[in-house]
Amino acid sequence: MFVINWEFAIEQFPEVLKGVPITMAITIVAMIFGMLFGILIALCRIYKLPILNRLFILYISFIRGTPLIVQLYVFFYGVPVLLDFINVKFGTNFNASEISPLIYAFIVYTLNTSAYQAETFRSSINAIHVGQMEAAQSIGMTTAQAMYRIILPQAFIVALPNLGNLFIGLIKATSLAFAVKVVEIMALARIIANDGYLFLEMYLVAAVIYWIISLVFEYTFVAIEKRMRRYEAHVDAKVA
Amino acid sequence: MGVVEWVDLFKQVLDKLPLTLFMLVVSLFFGMILGVIVAIIRVRKIPVLHQIATFYLSFTRCTPLLVQLFLVYFGLPQLLLVFGVDINDWNRLIFVIVTFSLHVAAYLSEVFRSAYLAVGYEQLEAAYSVGMTYTQALRRIILPQAFVISLPNLGNNIIELLKDTALAFTIGIIDIMGQVRIIIGNNHGMGMFEVYVVISLVYWGTCILIETAIGYLEKVLQKGRISISKN
Repeated sequence: MFVINWEFAIEQFPEVLKGVPITMAITIVAMIFGMLFGILIALCRIYKLPILNRLFILYISFIRGTPLIVQLYVFFYGVPVLLDFINVKFGTNFNASEISPLIYAFIVYTLNTSAYQAETFRSSINAIHVGQMEAAQSIGMTTAQAMYRIILPQAFIVALPNLGNLFIGLIKATSLAFAVKVVEIMALARIIANDGYLFLEMYLVAAVIYWIISLVFEYTFVAIEKRMRRYEAHVDAKVA
Repeated sequence: MGVVEWVDLFKQVLDKLPLTLFMLVVSLFFGMILGVIVAIIRVRKIPVLHQIATFYLSFTRCTPLLVQLFLVYFGLPQLLLVFGVDINDWNRLIFVIVTFSLHVAAYLSEVFRSAYLAVGYEQLEAAYSVGMTYTQALRRIILPQAFVISLPNLGNNIIELLKDTALAFTIGIIDIMGQVRIIIGNNHGMGMFEVYVVISLVYWGTCILIETAIGYLEKVLQKGRISISKN
């Protein structure tokens, strides 16, 4: 017998929607901090800073070579061990159980996405012609000024499609946050499903919500890209 | 923890590596076949199938794999029951492989589509001009070239898939991740950190192996390309 309890699914839809703010909070916090660290890591790797370059190569390899869920668990169970160690060593009094699960999620997702964003920014900064840097230096800018004013704005546009992909990937990756006991869309869907043993309905609801969020951001990123490219388009039009 | 315990832990985890690799290889096999078909449908814009493929791609790429896994595991048996087929007693591995194949096929189809378009239309025209049919041209001329172009992206997707197999334990498959849950259960929740360190090392090692293999394959296939252009 094939029965989907549509009434239940529609009735509980708003309940699952309550997880959207948490999902978006994790995504946006991780994205912003990840972008910051990503750019810094990319610069370290581009300028091949002695020890940092090696360190970040190892870091990126680790993050890209292990599943996110394993990283979540390593961090979630590793931090209490680390805090115990510090407490014994230095006589401090940190308590791991006071840390909110959301903090764990913020940190792990930031660490994860900053590795991917570092690679994105590295390739997009490399895509900018070296002549741009030389021109900036020839009119008396320092390397840091040229990077901030000339190179990064251009590199950002090149990176935008990849950043969009990473952002949508991140939204979907937050469905794993239940592993560290964060109650987001997926966790709410599971909790409600457990009540009535109606798993299929609730997972369908979750799928629809993720789909809608992803579509909205896909179009948002296309719009941002179009807007940021408007100057390029003008140049093209004049030449043609 | 002494060295013996660490080695023992590694052995227990490595014991289940073949199952993870099995899931990876089988899903990749079916995913590639389906991916090529979807890519061809999208490139040739075959009327009804094209819309269905686009819809399928949008859904697969915009919902988390975890949700898809649960939808297949709970939904497929109910759906097939309508047609009078009872698959409730099927092995769970089948559901996992179905989900992963469908999931990876969507990503691979985009990889293949971009690679196919990168080969260029002249190649197809040249093949037509010597009297090949479309199927022949596809198999003998286009796909071999497209494969080389798609290799870097293919490697990325294989690594992603390897990491995605870590989700199979959520429906009760005892792969590496499931084995870890069992070890933790046997230890009554003690030493979780060590176990997860071991498993991340195992995944990392496997990843590096795949990366190296793809890099080697790329080099070998690229070599032939350069020598041809030099001739």
